[in-house]
Formats: sequence, C-alpha cells, structure tokens
Amino acid sequence: MSDLSAFSLQGITKEFPGVRALEDASLKVRPGEVHGLVGENGAGKSTVIKVLAGIYRPEAGNITIGTQTLSPATPESVHAAGVRFIHQELHLVPHFTITESVFLGQERVGRFGLDTAGMRADAEAFLRDMLGVTLPGNRLIRDLGTAERKLVQIARALIDGAAKVVVFDEPTAPLASDEVDTVMRAIRRLKEQGIAILYVSHYLSEITDICDRVTVFRQGKTVGVFDDITDASGSDLVYAMVGRDIADMFPKKGTRQTGTGFAIDGLSDGKTFEGISISVGKGEILGIAGLIGSGREELIDTIYGLTKAGSGSFTFEGQPLQIKSAAQAVRAGIVLVPRDRRHDGLVLPMTVAENTTLATLERNATFGLENRRAVSNSTEAQIKALDIRPPNPNAVTRLLSGGNQQKVVLARWMAKSARVFIFDEPTVGVDVGAKAEIYQLIEDLAAGGACVIVSSSDPVELQGVCDRIAVMMRGAIIAELPTEGLSVDTLVAATTGAVDARELADAS
Amino acid sequence: MDRTQNPIVNILLRFGFLVVFAGFFILFAAWNPVFLQGGNLLNIVEGASVLMILALGMTLIVATGGIDLSVGIALDFGAAFAVVAMKSYGLDWFGAACAGLIGGSLVGIFNAILVVGLRISPFLATLSTFFIGSSVQRIFTNGGGPISHRRMPEEFRNLALGDIFGVPTEAVIAFVLVVIYFLILERSIWGRRIHAMGMQRSASIVAGIRVNRILILCFVGASVTCAVAGLIAAANIRMFTPLSGFSYLLDAIAAVFIGAALHPRGRPNVPGTVAGVLFLGMVANGLNLMGLNFNTKDALQGIILLSALALAVAQQRARNR
Repeated sequence: MSDLSAFSLQGITKEFPGVRALEDASLKVRPGEVHGLVGENGAGKSTVIKVLAGIYRPEAGNITIGTQTLSPATPESVHAAGVRFIHQELHLVPHFTITESVFLGQERVGRFGLDTAGMRADAEAFLRDMLGVTLPGNRLIRDLGTAERKLVQIARALIDGAAKVVVFDEPTAPLASDEVDTVMRAIRRLKEQGIAILYVSHYLSEITDICDRVTVFRQGKTVGVFDDITDASGSDLVYAMVGRDIADMFPKKGTRQTGTGFAIDGLSDGKTFEGISISVGKGEILGIAGLIGSGREELIDTIYGLTKAGSGSFTFEGQPLQIKSAAQAVRAGIVLVPRDRRHDGLVLPMTVAENTTLATLERNATFGLENRRAVSNSTEAQIKALDIRPPNPNAVTRLLSGGNQQKVVLARWMAKSARVFIFDEPTVGVDVGAKAEIYQLIEDLAAGGACVIVSSSDPVELQGVCDRIAVMMRGAIIAELPTEGLSVDTLVAATTGAVDARELADAS
Repeated sequence: MDRTQNPIVNILLRFGFLVVFAGFFILFAAWNPVFLQGGNLLNIVEGASVLMILALGMTLIVATGGIDLSVGIALDFGAAFAVVAMKSYGLDWFGAACAGLIGGSLVGIFNAILVVGLRISPFLATLSTFFIGSSVQRIFTNGGGPISHRRMPEEFRNLALGDIFGVPTEAVIAFVLVVIYFLILERSIWGRRIHAMGMQRSASIVAGIRVNRILILCFVGASVTCAVAGLIAAANIRMFTPLSGFSYLLDAIAAVFIGAALHPRGRPNVPGTVAGVLFLGMVANGLNLMGLNFNTKDALQGIILLSALALAVAQQRARNR
C-alpha cells in the first residue's frame, strides 16, 4: 500500500493535570477513505480530535496534514490546510434560512451589497451535488428535519471548496434511524469527491457500514487498526475497544424469585395506542419492542403519568394503583429512567449529589432542613456502588459522559428502592463499557425482586437483557415472545412486521 | 488552562464583586465623611428593608424559573387592606396586619391561577396581574388619591418606626425574613425542589416532584412576603399610597440578578440577593451624599451596576474554567 496519507498523527502524547489522556497515540487517514475512530468514553477520541484541530498542544508527537508538517498546529493553520470539523452540536440559528446558515460568517458581497441570489444558487447546488439532497435555499432552519440540518451544517463547513479532510464527530447521535441514511449517503458522496473522512461514532453498526478502515483507541493508546471492515467486524471492534467479547456484555440471567407484580389492563391514550394489557412479575424483565410510531414511547409516558390515560387501570400485587401524575407513580414505587436523560432525566446544571438525592430528599433531612453530611455520605456510597466517574459528588452532571449521566439517574432511583423500574432506551449515547455495567445493574434489580420494563429500539439489547419481549405495532401489542431461543433476526422481523409475530408466539 | 498570571487581575477575578463593593464604600466614605457615620449606615440598612423584603419574594419566583412583575401590586394590596381594616373596620394592629397579608395573598393566588391553571408564562401572567392590580387601585381610590389614617394604632406604626433593642423594627423584620428565606431556599428540601424545577422542569416532573403544588405555594408565599413590605410602607407614612410598590420593581429584579451573578453556578440565591440589595442601597445613598445632580444619578447607578455585573460574570467564568 502507498504510504500516502491525508493526515497523520504520530506518537501523540497529551497530559492533563493528573491524567495522561493520550499516550503515544497515532492515527493515519488515507486520501479518499472513510476512516472510523472508535473507543469507549475516556479512550481519548475527543482529545485526539482536539489535538488535530490545534486546540490542544500535545507534549510529544507530529501532526502532518497532506505533505506539510505543522508544528505547532493551530486552529488557523489546520483550517488553512483543509481540515474541517463537523461537531456533534449543530450550532445553527433556527430563524435563518438555509442560504444564510451556509454562508454565515463567509457571506459573499456582489456589486449591490450581499449577493443573495448567487449564494442561494451555490448553497442549493452544493447540497444537491455534493450531499445529494434538494432543498430550497430560502427555507428556514427550524422547518428542517434534524438530518437536513446536519447537511446544512456540513455544507457550511465545506462550501469554500478547500476541504481535504472532514472530521465527523458523532454525526448521527441526534438522528432517528431513517434519518441516519440521509447523512450516510451524503458522507459517501463526499468520499467519492476524494475527500478523506474521519468518522467518530459510538454506533458500531454505522462504523462497519460506512468505514473502509477503523482505528481503535483504548485508554489513550492506539490498540488496533482494522484494514478490512465488513459487517461482521463489529464484535472484533468491541473486543478491541473494551478488551472483552460482545457476548460478555450481557449479564448471565440468574434464577429469580417470581410472583405477581405490576400489571396494566386495557390502557389506551385515545390517540396512539389502545387496549394495552401487559404484566411484569417480580424479578422479571419485560422488554417492549417497536418501531418509531408503534406507540411504544407514548405507552411508557402514559404508564408513568406523564400523559393522560384515556382508559385503563394499573395494579400491583393485585392491588389497584392510581397513576395520574409522575409524582403519584413515584410514590407508588414506579420509577422511570427516561429516554431523553439530558432533558427529562437530570437537572443538568445541578451536581451529582443534588441529582442523586432529588427523589429521596426527606430521608436526609430533619424538619425539612437538609443534613448535608447525610446527603454527601449517601451520594458517595452510590458513586462507589455504581462506579460513577468522576467520583466527585459536586461534579456538575452536564459535564459527565452519557454513561455516567445514566448512572446518576439510576442512582437516584436505586436510593428510592422502587418496586417497578421502567427503562426507556437505557443505553442510547452510552459507550460500550458503561452499557455492560448498566445491563448488569438492570439484571441485579430483577434479581433483587423488582419488576423491570425495558423499552428499546435496539433488538440486540432487548434479546440480551429481557426474559420476555412484548412487540408493539401500530398502537397494539401484537405478540409476547420469550427471549429464550429467540434470535435477534426473528425479533427484528416481528417488530418490522416482516413475519406475523402471532405465529411466532404460538410456535414458541 | 492558562491562568492569568497578573496577580491584580487574579484578585479582581476572585473577589470581583467584593472588591467593587469595598471600592465604592471607600470612595463614598472619602468623599463625604457623613457616609461612614453610624446613623447613615443604619439609614442604608433601614431604607433597604422594604426593597429587601420585596427582593426576597422575587428571588423565590426567579428560583422557580419565572419572574414576578406584580411584587409591587402585592405590596400595595398589603398596605391597602391593612389601612382600610384599621380605618373603616376599626381592627387592631394585629387584625390589620393579617388583613394586609390576606390582601397580598390574593395577588399570589391570582398569579397561581394564571400560571398553573391557565399555563400562561409567568412573565405575561404577572404582567397582566400588574395591569389589573394597578387599575383596581385607581378605581378603588377614585384615581389614585392616598388613603391616610392619622390615628393609626401605635403598635402598627411601630412596625416601621419602632425599634427592638435599638435596631429599627423594619430592619429586624427584614432580617428575620432573610433568615427564613435562606433556610427554605438554600438549606431545605423544598428549596432543592424549587431550584430543580426552576432549572429543569421536565426532569423535576420525572423525578416525582409536584411542580404545580410548589409553583402555587411559591406565588402565594412571595406575594404574602411582599405584603409584609406593604405593612411597613403603610406604617411608615401612616397612609396607603396607590401604585407605590411599582418603584421597587426594577430594583428588586436588579438585586436578584446581581445575586444570581454572584453565585458560582449562576443560581438566584438569598445571600446574593441580600448583597445586591445592600449594594443598590449603598450606591443610592452614597451618590446622594455626593450631592450629584438628580438627573445624572440614575445613569451613574446604571453604569456602576453594569460594571459590577460584568465583573461578577467574568468572575464566574474564571471559576468555572
């Protein structure tokens, strides 16, 4: 192979006070390839990107872009060398048009002021030719879907035509699965134009789908470069990332106590789903599968009292329960780990201690006044039990990684010792290592006799974690499948309606 | 990462607001020795009592994530109900005080109905309350004439003019309220819930916090607090002056947001509000003693406020780096 590279980082070491974020790490991307960069949170992915961007200055190592060695690399010199960054956050003004957004900060001036017509034509042409979408340049950003916004963001970075390397940082994180394809198509088109692409993502299926080669980071070091990526490379990548096998991600299902637990009878919200009856025994993990639009999310919100139920009833151990609000659900011992943890799960500006004790305030108080030592003691116990990092009760939760944020949400409910745990998309945006820990925690809850409901769009997760899976489609439960002997493929087929799930249920 | 090396800048950043506070204190003291006299300092504290109480109510509402533009109305209602109770119904001072607090609570109840019941944003809801409440006062007083009550009971007058062990009663009342508010908002579990819902409503709901109940209690509590300020104002001048609460509104908002800027995480908080109120009081008093032209005073006050806030924000950034 040629030794030609679009850019290469070699022997990069970067230290922060107390931690060595990168140690002799290297990353080399060839022209015209899509190169994946994977690793757990804290493996050094974002540090290496910031080194490439010239934001961090490494203690050791070389940065070469094209044929030119930059020492030191600064944000300006990196930009001049043709490297562009597509950040995870969109940073678009909702009330601007597509054209205005694309040319924001690089407006073109014609003879009579702004060259609006020219800019619009160029923006539309760029989106059409380079990214493969046809969008009118005068449409407002707020009227676009998330995927289209992402493309506008890409167009903005690349419109000057000088890009040789494009770094995508978690480009699909906020996208629904059908939107992902739109972005993927755009990236493939860029590749065809001979642009080298560094693709950073937690989603291994996307990595194996789009990347030609992949570099794996672990604990600040380059632990592997995969030259030959196929759909089957996923488990190899996981092994390299975490140093263990994918099958080991899921905990062993232990023997558990059984008994009637939480039951829902004939629940309807009058719009998206109707006549839902499910029950979860004590010590059982019930999965809920279903595509977007199947009513799965709405069902969870209604069970938890976030939206009003039209009809239906709840029982626990045969006793009727009133759930008309989230507060009532919590008092009845039903707790939710919501899908949107940054919005609904955590009060982000608050600290780990404040968030973990938010539902158990009375316990650490006398006459309503908080006992700060008790709060900090119980938080420290939770931090230890769940291995939350950094282990600092006063860390602001906004700054934690996805996995650790999720653990904080969990810690709050563990402290509450609830009877029914509902998990909605428990591992979205969570890195592989933390995923395994969260699965173990879910299993432990069930082993401890709690009723657990896991709603997820990830069939592998459902199959690996749950005892039984209720499949939802068009607002109804079409089948309940035991996971023992159930293959992921069958589950996907049932969720998408490719096979009649009722027959599956009968056969098993 | 790269900390500024200049030690002076560092000190300014760390103690920014305190330095400004102290700086002005020294400046005013040097300009006019009267400023430093015990009587004048007591004047500042006493004069700030009404604003302090109003600002506490405002702090509570801002902590819930809203704002209360009707604090002045609650003050007016407190004063009006108390004066009318004494003048027309002959109630004693205690009955009148209770009437005033009930009058003030009506404002909070109305706000709560708009915000919780009708889901109107606090800004618009309390703005409407402000308009309606202002109009009600004008109608009731036939266009805004004061209702005076020269033979106000001595005990009621003492709310403003008396003293407890040499400290003016109104300052004592303000101090007690500051302590109560501090305990509730900064040290109690209810305070934690209030702050949580103010910062992220949806997450607080999921955490099982009864946000509507808290909102109602906060609006009513804030308006009752403001009514206390109304009692003091009425006792001070032995009359109810319609629409007099409005003049405190902007200062109360300013004090709360100065206080929030002083907090390391930018939260509205009681000690910060106290610092904000005292700062505003000191600047107003000091500028007065400098004998400045009345017309330039507001501008100067604004400039001082701006520079203090800019420093406080820079300080916050430096701390969070």
